Parts: sequence; structure tokens; C-alpha cells
Amino acid sequence: MFSVGAHGTGRELLFLRKRIGNKVGRTIGVSADMPERADKSAQQKDAESKVQRFQANLGPFVVATETTRMAMVFTDATERGNPIIFANDSFLSLTGYAREEVLGQEFNFMLAHAADAETLANVKAEFERTSDIVSEILYRRKDGNEFWVALFISPVRDERGHVVQYFASLVDLTKHKEEEARAKILIDELNHRVKNTLSMVQSIVRQALRFHTDPGEIRHAIESRLLALSRSHDLLTRENWRSAGLRDMINDVLEPFDVVGGRADRIVIVGDDIRLPPQTALVLGIGFNELATNAVKYGALSNLAGSVLVEWKIEPSPESSRLILHWREKDGPPVTRPSRLGFGSRMIERGLAHELEGTVDIDYRSNGVVCTINIPVPQDAVDG
Amino acid sequence: MDKSLSGRRILVVEDEILNLAMLDDILTEAGCESVAAAATIDQAIGMIDERVFDAALLDIKLKGKRAYAVADALGARGVPFVFVTGNSVRDIEDRYRDRPVLRKPFKEEKLIKALTDLLPPRSPDDNQ
Repeated sequence: MFSVGAHGTGRELLFLRKRIGNKVGRTIGVSADMPERADKSAQQKDAESKVQRFQANLGPFVVATETTRMAMVFTDATERGNPIIFANDSFLSLTGYAREEVLGQEFNFMLAHAADAETLANVKAEFERTSDIVSEILYRRKDGNEFWVALFISPVRDERGHVVQYFASLVDLTKHKEEEARAKILIDELNHRVKNTLSMVQSIVRQALRFHTDPGEIRHAIESRLLALSRSHDLLTRENWRSAGLRDMINDVLEPFDVVGGRADRIVIVGDDIRLPPQTALVLGIGFNELATNAVKYGALSNLAGSVLVEWKIEPSPESSRLILHWREKDGPPVTRPSRLGFGSRMIERGLAHELEGTVDIDYRSNGVVCTINIPVPQDAVDG
Repeated sequence: MDKSLSGRRILVVEDEILNLAMLDDILTEAGCESVAAAATIDQAIGMIDERVFDAALLDIKLKGKRAYAVADALGARGVPFVFVTGNSVRDIEDRYRDRPVLRKPFKEEKLIKALTDLLPPRSPDDNQ
């Protein structure tokens, strides 16, 4: 309800002449005088009757102001500090104050940084309409929480053109600010990933040059690893970088390898699908890419008869359950242990173990390579 | 081959294996006596407690977590170190403002220089 502020001197809501752009709208107000020192109930009565007149004259306008979801206040422009003389329900629910706590207060009473010169200048500029930039002001609720608001202020003029009131609407920017913060986190994270990926590419190139001398082999080594990395990214992107299924990951990694006689018959994957955190999926992807590369070049996928069995199980344990993965090759050409640790076996044996904090063993059995990966079961598969 | 890190024992705290493999190669080729690798904060702190290092490379983000605990442990032991980060903007806590930072990706020469700058020059008879 409308009532007179503590700083009121008897004049209030004289004229509402809303300026719309450069045009002066019709005058929609009433004139009223208030006795300076009336007793409270008389004052109250007087105020109420004026509200009735005010509403009768303005009808739809007042109803709109009272019911809109936009927080709105009127201030008395003729008083120092622009005391608030009207506040709608939205304003009260936005700020947490009761109406009687707001009316009569200076407009700036809720500023979170009332002593801050820049904030005061922004508010002042908004009152004087000297800037086209919408001011974002930090306010404080009754409960002490701070919130950002976009402030729009329009003057209300009397018939002689004097500003008698200000009409202020406040748009709560809390959601907007939260989205802004989220966007910033995403951009930071993206930047981080891009730089990290470039560093991985640098490593792939450097190692291709280290392990190969033939330009064709260098090109192939770089390409196949970049594409493996790219496929792992695709998989994680499909899942919003929350997690990836182990089965999907292995299928995706093995997909580009040309296997004579069809992949389906020669690569068998057995195990319940489990969720992997992004980094675990990426590193296992690198590992399986190297195992498959090796199998296609020298192992069970290099002839017509060989096959690969990929299987895994979870071994429960009270402390930390283990994921035990086997890559078993059979019926390939006889296996001999490589004389030199290449990029692939280095990545698998040392790299996987390092990054996944587990053990990785490659057994070069004469009837087929067996790689055993034993890592803690990823706990943070969903929020990783 | 530049052997400017000859005889040095370096700790590399890095959780990503491709990056680690590259750092390992570069440091070994530069003559380091040993390159130890840690992938997690706990592993790194355990190694700092048990072993002696001349210098360390520390990726500031390990499995999504900030690795300042490792920086603190290195500082307590007096092991000089270089931060490694994937961020292109300033993202290191103020108290570590004075520490050198390498931003990924970086040139080999920059890595070697960052480490040699940290280490006191060695006299010729100081080797081994």
C-alpha cells in the first residue's frame, strides 16, 4: 500500500508525466498537500485517500506497477537523497524488505558499496540520464546477500517541466551474472584443453621424428595418433565430457584399423560396459591405439588367421576395486620381443601405468602378445 | 647436443603421458642424470620426501586439481621449480607470483633455459 515516507514534507505524487523518448506523455497525476505535523492516523488516512484518488486517476497504471514482475520504485525528486515513496511487491520480494522498511529511505540505502565513488557516479548518471550505458549496480538484500541489478530511471515531471519524482525499475541480473561466470569457466577450460592438446601434438610429432626416419612412416605415425586422439575427443564430446563407456571407447579406437576378413570376426570384446572419467578414457584410447597399431603391423592382425580378445572384469576389494583389462592376441605370426622400446610400448607400459596409477604389463608370448592393465576402478566416472 | 642439464636430477610432475614422454626425452637428451615422474599430488609429495632433486617441473593442474600442495612441499625442501600450465592468462596464486611459468606448448630451448636459470652454475670438478 502507498504511504508517506518519513522524510516527506507534505507533497507527494504530484504529477506523473512520463517522458517517453522525446515526447512528453499526457499528464496523469493529482495534486495533494499534506499537513506537516498531523497525527499518525490522520496522516495515514490522508495517505490512503490519496492512494485511492491516485488509483482512480491512474487506474490501470497503478495496477500494472503493483502487479508487474519488474521491481519498481518511485522516489521524491524534491527531497535530498531521493527518498522512496512507492515500492511494488516485486521490489519487496527482490530485496527482502517489508514495505514500511523501504518507504522514506534514501534511494541508495541498499547499495552494497555505498561509499564507492564509481557506484555512486553510475547511479547518479542513471538519474540524470547522462549515459546510454545501462548501469549494473551491486545491491544488498535485507539478509545481507548481494545481487546485481540493471537500473533504469526515468524522471516524472510536473506541468511546468520540473522533475518531481523518479521512476526506477530494477532488473535482477543474478541469473545473467551466473551465466556469465559459467561462460567464463567454460572458456578458460576450453583454452586449457586447446593448449594441452597442442602440447600433446607437439609430443606426437617429436616422438614420430625420434622413432622413424622414413618420411612416409613419420607421416603415418603422426596421422594415426592425431586421429586416435581426435576420435577420443569425439566420443567424450558426445557425452558432454562427463564420461565415456569403456566398450564405446574400445570400439571407437579400433574402428579405423583395416582388418582383413572383417573386424567383427577377428576382434572380440567381452565385458560389462563401465563408465570412465574423461582423462582415463583419453589415456586408455592412446594405449589401445598403440596395441592395435602393433597388432596390425606385426601381431595377430597382420596375417589372415589371427584374432584379438579384449576382456575385462572388476575385482572388488574393500580398499579399492581394481579394473583388470586383458588384450590377448592369438594365431598371429610368432612373436619376438622387440629389441628396442618403441613409442607404442613406451606409451603403454610406462605411460598408462603412470597416468592411471596402476600396473601395465606387456607379455611377448611366442603365440601372441598379452597386455594386462590393472588400474583402480575409476570412482569419479560421472563428475570427472 | 646441448648437455646443459648434465648430471641433474629432475622431478617432473605431469599427469598426461604424451606430455610426460616429451619432457622425459628432452630432459634426458639434455644430459639429466635422472628424470623422475609423478602423476598425482600424493605421488609427487611422497617423492619429494624420499629423494633429492636439483629442480622440478610442476604442472599446476593435476587431474583437474590445483597442485599448490606440491609447490609447498618443493618450497619447504628448497627445491627450485618451474610451473607448467595450459592457461594463457595469469592463473598462479599470488604467493607464487615470482616463480617462473612455462605455458603449453613451449619450445624445448625455453624449457632448458627455465631450468638452467634455476640451478646454480657448476664448477668443472663438481661433476659426479
